[in-house]
Amino acid sequence: MTDVPRTVPLDQLPKLRELFEALNSGRHLNRHHDHALWVELEQQLKHYQTLFAALGYDLRIDGRGYAWFHTADATSTVSKNSRRLALFFLLLFEYQADQGQHLGKFHSWSLDRSLLQVLWEKNQALLEAEDVADVDGLADILNTGARYGFCLSEEPHWRLLPAVYRYLDHFEELAAELRVQKTEDVALAHWEDDV
Amino acid sequence: MNEYGFQRLVLLNSAGYERAELPLDDAVSLVAPNNTGKTSLINALQFLLIIDKRRMDFGPHSADASRRFYFPNNSAYILLEVVLPEVGSVVMGCVGKGMSHDYGYFVYRGQLNIEDFRGPDGSTVQEPRLAQHFERLGKVVYRYEPNEFTAALYGSGNRRRNEALDFTVFKLDYARHASAYQRVLTRTLRLDKLKSDEVKEYLLEIFKRELPDANIDFKAEWDKAFAEVNAERAQYRAALALKPTIERLADEQAERLELRGRIIHFRPLVDTALAAWQQHYDETRVQLGHALAEAQKQSHKLDSNQNAWVVEQTELGQRQKALEALNEEHATLARRFALTPDLAMLERQRDDAKAAYENQVARVHQANQVAPQALRRRIAATKRELESLHHQLAHLGSNLYLALAARLDEARLARLNRILSRDAMALPPDRFELTSELTDVIRHSAGEELQFAGLRLDTEGLPAQFSQRTEAELQDELAAQQSQLEQLQTQLSTAEALEKAVQLQRELEKRLREAEQALDDYRRFLELQTQESLRYDELERIAQRHAELSDKLRRIAELRTQYRKQEREHEAAIDTLDAQHRQIDRLRRERADQTPEFDALSELPHTPWLGRQNFSLDELAEQLEAYQQNCRRLIRLNELTAAKLQEIHHGGLTKYANESDSEREMERIIDFANHLAQEAEALARKERSAIVNVTVSLRELRDGLQVFKAQMRRFNRLISGRQLSDLKVFKIEPQEDAPLVEAIELLINTAEKADTGETFELFNQTSITDDAAITRAKDLLIRAGEARGCLRVENLFRLEFVVGKENQREEAFADIDSAASNGTVLMAKLVTGLALLHLMQDRRHRIRAVCYLDEASALDPRNQRNLIETAREFGFALIFASPTPQVTARYCVPISSRGGVNRISRLSWQILEPFESQNAPLEPA
Ligand SMILES: Nc1ncnc2c1ncn2[C@@H]1O[C@H](COP(=O)(O)OP(=O)(O)O)[C@@H](O)[C@H]1O
Ligand SMILES: [Mg+2]
Repeated sequence: MTDVPRTVPLDQLPKLRELFEALNSGRHLNRHHDHALWVELEQQLKHYQTLFAALGYDLRIDGRGYAWFHTADATSTVSKNSRRLALFFLLLFEYQADQGQHLGKFHSWSLDRSLLQVLWEKNQALLEAEDVADVDGLADILNTGARYGFCLSEEPHWRLLPAVYRYLDHFEELAAELRVQKTEDVALAHWEDDV
Repeated sequence: MNEYGFQRLVLLNSAGYERAELPLDDAVSLVAPNNTGKTSLINALQFLLIIDKRRMDFGPHSADASRRFYFPNNSAYILLEVVLPEVGSVVMGCVGKGMSHDYGYFVYRGQLNIEDFRGPDGSTVQEPRLAQHFERLGKVVYRYEPNEFTAALYGSGNRRRNEALDFTVFKLDYARHASAYQRVLTRTLRLDKLKSDEVKEYLLEIFKRELPDANIDFKAEWDKAFAEVNAERAQYRAALALKPTIERLADEQAERLELRGRIIHFRPLVDTALAAWQQHYDETRVQLGHALAEAQKQSHKLDSNQNAWVVEQTELGQRQKALEALNEEHATLARRFALTPDLAMLERQRDDAKAAYENQVARVHQANQVAPQALRRRIAATKRELESLHHQLAHLGSNLYLALAARLDEARLARLNRILSRDAMALPPDRFELTSELTDVIRHSAGEELQFAGLRLDTEGLPAQFSQRTEAELQDELAAQQSQLEQLQTQLSTAEALEKAVQLQRELEKRLREAEQALDDYRRFLELQTQESLRYDELERIAQRHAELSDKLRRIAELRTQYRKQEREHEAAIDTLDAQHRQIDRLRRERADQTPEFDALSELPHTPWLGRQNFSLDELAEQLEAYQQNCRRLIRLNELTAAKLQEIHHGGLTKYANESDSEREMERIIDFANHLAQEAEALARKERSAIVNVTVSLRELRDGLQVFKAQMRRFNRLISGRQLSDLKVFKIEPQEDAPLVEAIELLINTAEKADTGETFELFNQTSITDDAAITRAKDLLIRAGEARGCLRVENLFRLEFVVGKENQREEAFADIDSAASNGTVLMAKLVTGLALLHLMQDRRHRIRAVCYLDEASALDPRNQRNLIETAREFGFALIFASPTPQVTARYCVPISSRGGVNRISRLSWQILEPFESQNAPLEPA
């Protein structure tokens, strides 16, 4: 294998503009949604990585089938959106886990309004604190998510795309930490009891 | 240790080595400070093993620089001795060709002896003299072109010639793996540089041979499988939507068939009937004409008789009236003269009247009369004069005239008297008043003038109004007037008496006339009296004749009504006949059945006519009319059915459009529409088999995935035979791409259910392709396939490096480099690479090769040993390169560098024997 050449053959990247615009708008590309873009990205990965790196973008690709431009800090609206999305997925995963759903199978879930209703009722206070006023607010979050490539709106429901792993990974990390925390807490409590 | 395999590598005048000799039959620790030439030594093997310049990899050094570096002149050699099962020891070589820095390949049988390359003058043999030189040594040197050399080395088909040496080193299970093998082999020289995606690529390449040649164009498969079903469903749906139209079409077509049968039957009859009609019409028309004329003649005759009789009857009536008037007159006169005895008396009366009249006429004639009116006017005037005279007399001494005369002179009085009336001058004093003003005024008036305030009168010529008379004068005047009045009154009474006499005269004249009239009337009475009986006779005759005539006229009226009726009947019959004829004529001219299509009618499908069999002349017109209507209706039906058929085509129901003719097509369509329920079932069946068909290829993919997974399990067993560093678990696992695999599974499961004929809800409700989940699965597969050109097994999974340390959870990594510490990663790569090469080689033909690990000191001895052992198992001798000796190797080979020239002498090799087999390691010599 030869090393990556310095020059990027732009003529071999016909979808460069489209890819860049999508990624730069904060969207996540998903293998099973953005088929054509994905295949080109996959096939010309080296060139894309070189090019985007040279332009100062941090292209990340997750083997589970999604790609995005990683940004350390975000503008306020994006961050507000991400905060809401993060909250939404957190609540969703929590609920689904409680229902005994396998979280890794999120791509086969179909989210409808009745589910949003349940989420809303369960977490009203939390959501209101994030300015989510009603079930429509939850639907808005999902629609935002659709813009960022986290889900697809297929009236009358939404389906999640692989990019959601970004949230799921966080959630699972958090859950693991929480478990550790809990056992420690329990141990501490015992110890205090003993004292 | 394998007896077959690489033995030694020798470099002469190449890569900065004057001479280098490296053992390859067991693990080697190549020792030298950095930047001496360790890597370059190993890289030299690429010329012999990779051959293809494009595949060689010299790190930062370009191909050209490398060529110059390795082949500075025509006595530069890279030599490798290999022991092969069939031919024993073989030396493969690469020799520089001089200034061009080009190089050539050669092979000879036998062991590698450096002395063999020393020429008679003690220097290294130059390339052009190589063959000759070896000939002298009794050895045959075979020269090869690079591609021939490659073919021989990898045992692939295109050997150069039969006599050439068979020195296949790398015998692969599959010749097509050569490229992958070479690529991995390139890496074995630098296994630390192996990358994750390369590992994946090679694994796939290697296992491909086990996979079914499954790369499916899912869209094509789907379209192929469903093309027919979709087409048929489209037809079914079209028919369903068009059902009302088709039902109407069916009705119209039935009517058309019936009409055709009817028209086929009647059409020939029409011609005969029309021919018969003309004769029938002509004859009947003449008969009726005659009858009508006869009736009219009779009727006419009656008319003239009747006229004569009516005239006679009218005259009789007039005569009768005249006679009756005479009788009446007679009766009247008889009543009048009932008391008159005879004519003589009446004559006397007339004579008396005549005498009285004539006397009176004479009397009146005498009086020359003055008209009494004029007399009456003169009497009145005289009476007024008398009255005035009485007035003057009464105020004789005191009237206005006298009052004025007292104050004015005569001239002035005279002037005033011309303007004041006589009666005014005679007014008494109580009726006038005089002031001095008047006298002043009048006094100022001179001459004949009179002047008042605002009025000046010229009085000349005016008569004097008043003259003052005396009483006597007045008394005389009164008497005269009185006598005049009496005279006038006498004359008036005479005049009035004359008038009465004239009146009487007129009276007497009238009486005379009456007497004469009575005389005439009486004579008339006498005349009528005498004729009375004659008159009665005549009246009787008239009455008789009148009755006769009335009778005759009545009978004529009766007859005439009869004739009229007959006439009307004949006329009506003629009208009817003519109307029929006109109608028939029109129908004959407008025959709707004269187009060619009616000629060929009997060849078209029709329902035979079993109704009435013939035409009758009487009802011909109506029947023809009906026939014509049928013809027109048939034409209309042709249009209607054609339009419906077109509508049906537009609606998408075209499956019968290829029928031989439209009629047949309609029949099929109607039949199809009548059996839609069965069609739906058939469609469901076809859909089931379509989905079964489409999943055949998906099954191949899925099975391929299973096979691949099995292969990976085998591969993992291979690489986890030894512990790698601190790793408890190291494996490369295929992770299914869940959405794709699930989509495939869903379709396969659906097909399996369909295949067993199990009727499940899905098919009962709608078509398979309407199911949302199935559609989504299908679309996903189609789009995934389209984006990549086709779907392959490798699209169904990705590989993950799963790493598990003691007491820790296993973790999966997409990239091997981030999976663990450097040393561990290095080992993992080596193991993986070696396993890859091992898998590619023909198991029955194992030739030990070498692999190379730079910076070997990164590994601790335990790991080094493990690695050496693993490499051995896979058929490789490991070469460590490091600045310090690695005691885990069997050979420890230092590079001596003097004056920029490197040298490795066989004599400097140190052989280290393990404790287990030898009591102490061999001391360096
Ligand atoms: N392919 C090559 N072409 C030209 N020069 C080379 C090539 N390979 C190595 N060299 C030179 O040979 C010398 C030794 O390098 P190298 O073999 O990489 O040292 P080591 O591996 O012992 O650290 C260096 O000066 C290097 O520039
Ligand atoms: Mg080196």
